Amino acid sequence: MATSDDAGVYRVSDELALIQTLDFFTPIVDNPYDFGRIAAANSLSDIYAMGGIPKTAMNIVAYPMVKMGREPLREMLAGGAAALREADTVLLGGHSIEDDELKYGLSVTGFVHPMKIRTNQGLRPGDCLVLTKPLGTGIINTAIKGGLASPATVRLVTKLMATLNRRAAEIMADFTVSACTDITGFGLLGHLAEMICGTGMGVTIQINTVPVLRDAYEFGSMGFVPAGAHKNREFRKNMVAAPTGFDPVLRDILYDPQTSGGLLIGCSEKDAPVLVQRLRDEGMKEAALIGFTAQDQTNTIQLQ
Amino acid sequence: MEKTIDACGLTCPAPVLLVKDAVEQTDAKKITVLVDNAASLENVSRFLGSKGYSVTDSLDGDIYRIEAQCDQATSTVGSQKMEEQQPGAASRKILVLITTDTLGSGDNSLGSKLMINYLKTIKEMGPDLWQLIFLNGGVKLTTQSSPVLEQLQEYEKSGVIVLACGTCLEHFGLTAVKKVGGITNMLDIVTATHLADKVITVS
Repeated sequence: MATSDDAGVYRVSDELALIQTLDFFTPIVDNPYDFGRIAAANSLSDIYAMGGIPKTAMNIVAYPMVKMGREPLREMLAGGAAALREADTVLLGGHSIEDDELKYGLSVTGFVHPMKIRTNQGLRPGDCLVLTKPLGTGIINTAIKGGLASPATVRLVTKLMATLNRRAAEIMADFTVSACTDITGFGLLGHLAEMICGTGMGVTIQINTVPVLRDAYEFGSMGFVPAGAHKNREFRKNMVAAPTGFDPVLRDILYDPQTSGGLLIGCSEKDAPVLVQRLRDEGMKEAALIGFTAQDQTNTIQLQ
Repeated sequence: MEKTIDACGLTCPAPVLLVKDAVEQTDAKKITVLVDNAASLENVSRFLGSKGYSVTDSLDGDIYRIEAQCDQATSTVGSQKMEEQQPGAASRKILVLITTDTLGSGDNSLGSKLMINYLKTIKEMGPDLWQLIFLNGGVKLTTQSSPVLEQLQEYEKSGVIVLACGTCLEHFGLTAVKKVGGITNMLDIVTATHLADKVITVS
């Protein structure tokens, strides 16, 4: 089954399809246990974004054993296992190799009813867009590398990245959702661009409603913007229209690559406020309605 | 003193980190940075700008040349070094942290009148008044509708460093209507309170 999402789907029967996904990366926080949790939450996210339930997972590890010793590896895998337990997902095994640079991630397999698959295609005229997590993790991770982020900021962003999209996906299942994706490496505008490609529609984003992590603006205005944000902008800038004098720091936040970002959900105007309220009631305090589809601006993301 | 940093072949955030270390470790008045991609050009320029440098850039073949000149009116590092070197100059550095838009508690309309009066009167501190930093509800005083906007603009013109907390402006949705002062962050606020001879917190 072909989609342009980050996961592959295989229909087993009329009742069951498998979603398979794989993601791994280099450390973004210093604490190995936290990094393990974040890597697992990030890998599980693709399954949730497609409306599936993760069932099994396999570890992928590249590890400098000589340089780092056994203990950080054990902690990292314990962090990954903790996130899998939270997702009721079984770890079946994995594979590790010796490497100069640490990398960790998981391949996750989930179940979904073939008729209930959510993809990033399907936005309808009049739909609203709801985002479940604030933006800015790429910028803050860059500031962490630069030794600028305070311990409180590190804790805040770690918690956010380690938060599963499970509950958001479960709440979403109670609504008629036209399209869904999770915000990761392409940033909000990159993933949004994928969502509208080929639909013949555009979207308007109300910039003052987009949730942004505390400190992301400050670090962005100091130039701590990851290369990925600039690459995302180069790739998609022809699809994005902004008013003249648009704040370049805010623009970078909208293109900022996210680690284990939130879900971006398309739903009817009637459902949107109810969905946002449910998400907020269940702990996703920064969930927000950030925009809507616009038929008169084909293939364009209008920032407002 | 001049310093040149060659950051060609590096991608973000490496160039900005190199420049950050250089700014912290030297007191160079003029810094030249060479980068080979537009993203690094933008990040490094933005960083140096946020540190009070005036920045120009030019393209030379495939290499961007960023020239930054220390602007003493806004550079914390530069201007303090200068003051320390002037024996006999009795000038102290007083930093006033404004964390609310009303002064005291009891009655809010009285509080906002008192705040207007306070901000008009602190000019009596003369050259000792070094920085005015607005935090939390205080950032409202830096916007278009502020009753003391003109006064604050006067302070800024006379050399007082006026700053508003970026996170706070964002929180209140006021970033676009801020009319006076630069945007600051917690790291700079902590540094400034550390360097000041006296910090007055208005809450």
